[in-house]
Amino acid sequence: MPASPRPETESSPISPITPIAPVSLDGLTWRPLTRREPTIAGLDLVIPAGQRVLLAGASGSGKSTVLRALAGLLDEETGEGSELVPPPRRPGERGLLLQNPTHALVAATITRDAAFGPENAALDRPEIHHRAEDALASARVDLDPSRAPLDVSGGQQQRIALAGSLALGPDLLLLDEPTSMLDPATAQEVRTAILEAAEGRTLVLAEHRIEPWLPHVDRLVVLGDQARILADGDPEEVLRERREVLVEAGVLVETEALEDVATSAAPQHGAPAEAPDGAPVASLHGVTVPQHGLRTPVDLAVHAGRLTVLTGPSGAGKTTLLRTLLGAGAPESGTVARPPREKIASVPQDPEHSFVATAVRGELLASPWANDEKLADELLERADLAHLARAHPSRLSGGEQRRVAIAAALAQQPSLLVLDEPTVGLDARRRRAVLDLLDEASRRGCAVLVATHDAELIARADDHLELPGSAQDELPPVPRRRIPADALNPLTLSLIGILAAIGSFAVHSWQGGLLSLVPIVLLAPLAVRSVRGAALRLTPILLSAAGLAWTTALLGDAPALSGPAWLLGLREAARITVFVAPGVLALGSVEATALGDALGGRLRLPARPVAAAVVALVRAGHLGRQWEIILRTRIQRGLGSAASPRLLASATLALLVVTLRGAEQQALAMDARGFATATHRTWAEPSRFGRADVLGLLLAIGLLAWPLLAELLVTR
Amino acid sequence: MTRFRTLDLMVTVLIGAAFGVAYLGYGQLYTLIGPFTAAFKPAEGLLAGIWFLPGILAALLVRKPGAALFAGLLAAVLSMLLGSPWGWGTAISGLMQGGGVELAFLLTRYRRFTLPVAILGGLLAAVLEWGWEKVIYYPEMSWPFSLAMLGAFLVSGALLCGVLGWAASRALAATGAVDSLPSGREHARIAEA
Repeated sequence: MPASPRPETESSPISPITPIAPVSLDGLTWRPLTRREPTIAGLDLVIPAGQRVLLAGASGSGKSTVLRALAGLLDEETGEGSELVPPPRRPGERGLLLQNPTHALVAATITRDAAFGPENAALDRPEIHHRAEDALASARVDLDPSRAPLDVSGGQQQRIALAGSLALGPDLLLLDEPTSMLDPATAQEVRTAILEAAEGRTLVLAEHRIEPWLPHVDRLVVLGDQARILADGDPEEVLRERREVLVEAGVLVETEALEDVATSAAPQHGAPAEAPDGAPVASLHGVTVPQHGLRTPVDLAVHAGRLTVLTGPSGAGKTTLLRTLLGAGAPESGTVARPPREKIASVPQDPEHSFVATAVRGELLASPWANDEKLADELLERADLAHLARAHPSRLSGGEQRRVAIAAALAQQPSLLVLDEPTVGLDARRRRAVLDLLDEASRRGCAVLVATHDAELIARADDHLELPGSAQDELPPVPRRRIPADALNPLTLSLIGILAAIGSFAVHSWQGGLLSLVPIVLLAPLAVRSVRGAALRLTPILLSAAGLAWTTALLGDAPALSGPAWLLGLREAARITVFVAPGVLALGSVEATALGDALGGRLRLPARPVAAAVVALVRAGHLGRQWEIILRTRIQRGLGSAASPRLLASATLALLVVTLRGAEQQALAMDARGFATATHRTWAEPSRFGRADVLGLLLAIGLLAWPLLAELLVTR
Repeated sequence: MTRFRTLDLMVTVLIGAAFGVAYLGYGQLYTLIGPFTAAFKPAEGLLAGIWFLPGILAALLVRKPGAALFAGLLAAVLSMLLGSPWGWGTAISGLMQGGGVELAFLLTRYRRFTLPVAILGGLLAAVLEWGWEKVIYYPEMSWPFSLAMLGAFLVSGALLCGVLGWAASRALAATGAVDSLPSGREHARIAEA
């Protein structure tokens, strides 16, 4: 931990404000407006200050809602309740961590992410940085703080999210399944960080995998339907005396199941693990994809009727290897053999990325290669989905969605089935159902390949390939080459583009237009990072300009494609280039975060809309990755090409579904960090104007005036 | 209720960002009709409506003043930052498109979020966007062709923005992804009845 830069204060700025108060719920009820029945029906719970409480219960028992209630963030616009906890008295008084850490991340760098809460609390700049540093150290985030949170591994992301909460010195830490999406080793690291950070605070934690937490908590509360308390007390006592309650709530199956499987995995499939019969269904030989982490050559063969697992630390290239096998990316070296397209089915980690139909049965029959209705019905039966055949796939629980996606893949009668983390985030019972379905797939003679961290799934596998780790977090980020335009404030860069665009209205002749282009061509190198980057930005402009010349020559008032018509077209092409090119070039140096600092901190535009816009812009890369998965999964299912309007429409809808579902979690995480009341927030970085901006301003004025001068020169 | 909750803000900006990303893929559609539009540019207007979608969806889902304008603008700003060839013209287009949709809902004082209002939103966005493009990109196009382009814009605005956008908002409500928004709750009430 870095030494505190302010030695006069004894405690860290992110310590809880003592004394912390006890938390109590007294007959809390809550019913979302979209449900008939309450999700919490009269809950009494008193938690003394400093206690560590573990909330256990099957998915759907209302654990998450209880945590939101404790956070004081149940929204009365969306439901009705009584005895609700009032909203926090100060920003971040009660910290809330969610299952999926990507929902908590809001900024382009790790430092700015940790600073988000203090900014919302309108603290001054030195205090913001002080708190962010301390919080990151307390949460054991040991990465370069200038890295992008959305690009690091899940374990680091959850610690960054923890730091985001800690930066506001919460009295109470509320955690909603914080480790359920992580592999066991990473989960252990995150657990350690959380327990350390919880020192001196009250801790309430919801989990379905309770064992690892048991030694560290003071109290175990088991919730049943509608958050009714089934058992409450000392963890050991509850375990000893109320075992049946825990098993019934789906909390305790796990340990037994694991032992069960470990001893019986091999006989279950009948064949000994080393003797695959016949030729492989698909294989990789000496494959490397160095730009995506696969550096050492990989050999892999998957066989009919066998379950193969692919393991390795995050960043080792599991996803890349699956993509390569599926034919979505070419390897740099090595050979790939795979069945024909219609015989391959794949299930993405988030099943909603693959959904296309409005009913479960329709989902199974959506692919043109899934035309056997009898098989579909049989699979629905097998996957325990028959009673949901007419339900909307998106309305199902996480476990049901996984089973729908797998059943839909099997309905294609594939010879190769590829799955990415099919059990992540599921409780014991739901995981078991997914595993059964994978058994069903290999029983049908399908070669099943799964990328996973799940110990139970690994224990069941016939074949196992472990990728060596070159952890994603160790890869140094590639620094961007600095160019002169980077020295300018985003507002100056914007002004250059806007004034140059206004100046273009002076272009009235083709000679004047061409002359107007001269300073743009001369100045362009100041705003160009690389030849390739410049080509990427400028080619579309030139194509558009050429298109406009053609259209003008063809559809203008002069005879189509005559000499004068072409000259008019040339003028129009020059004019439009003068209009757009300076802006496009200057915008290459504008970053969302700096733009937000300028608009919010400098121009004092309304703080919350500006900050929200920055959060959305920062997530564009993440959205792009999801868009890619959504498109690829659909193409894989035979639903069309990337240029098919129908496929694009359904992919857009899917992107909106996952985005809007995430929006709810994101809004919750942001409100837990004081965003709801942040109408007068501060900004961690100043939006500076320097000497370069004076030059930039002169340049902007020059570009505004030049076309007019150019016209005067040529008409002389 | 005109105050934007954090959820309303995030839904608005994320609709904008999602379209900003999806638009990169939509370029394919223009390639598809490329040969046709090279001969007759006004036909390109037939695709115009897809650019108005962020505005109409934000208006129909969030149902608060300013949502359409903000989402339209954000989608445009993201496109612009990602290197749209129209530079700052993209931002003005975002204002025209989001603003046109916004105007339709303003005329109903944000009381009606129905298909006819959505179609009106598409038509108004089409008129404004066409006006901007006429001024800045096609001042030399002869009036008959310009009016043909307006026709294409209007058809597209009504169908691809109005009808398709409205259908998409219903489809989204059916998935449960917007249950915490007024549009989602309305869907749940209808489903229960």
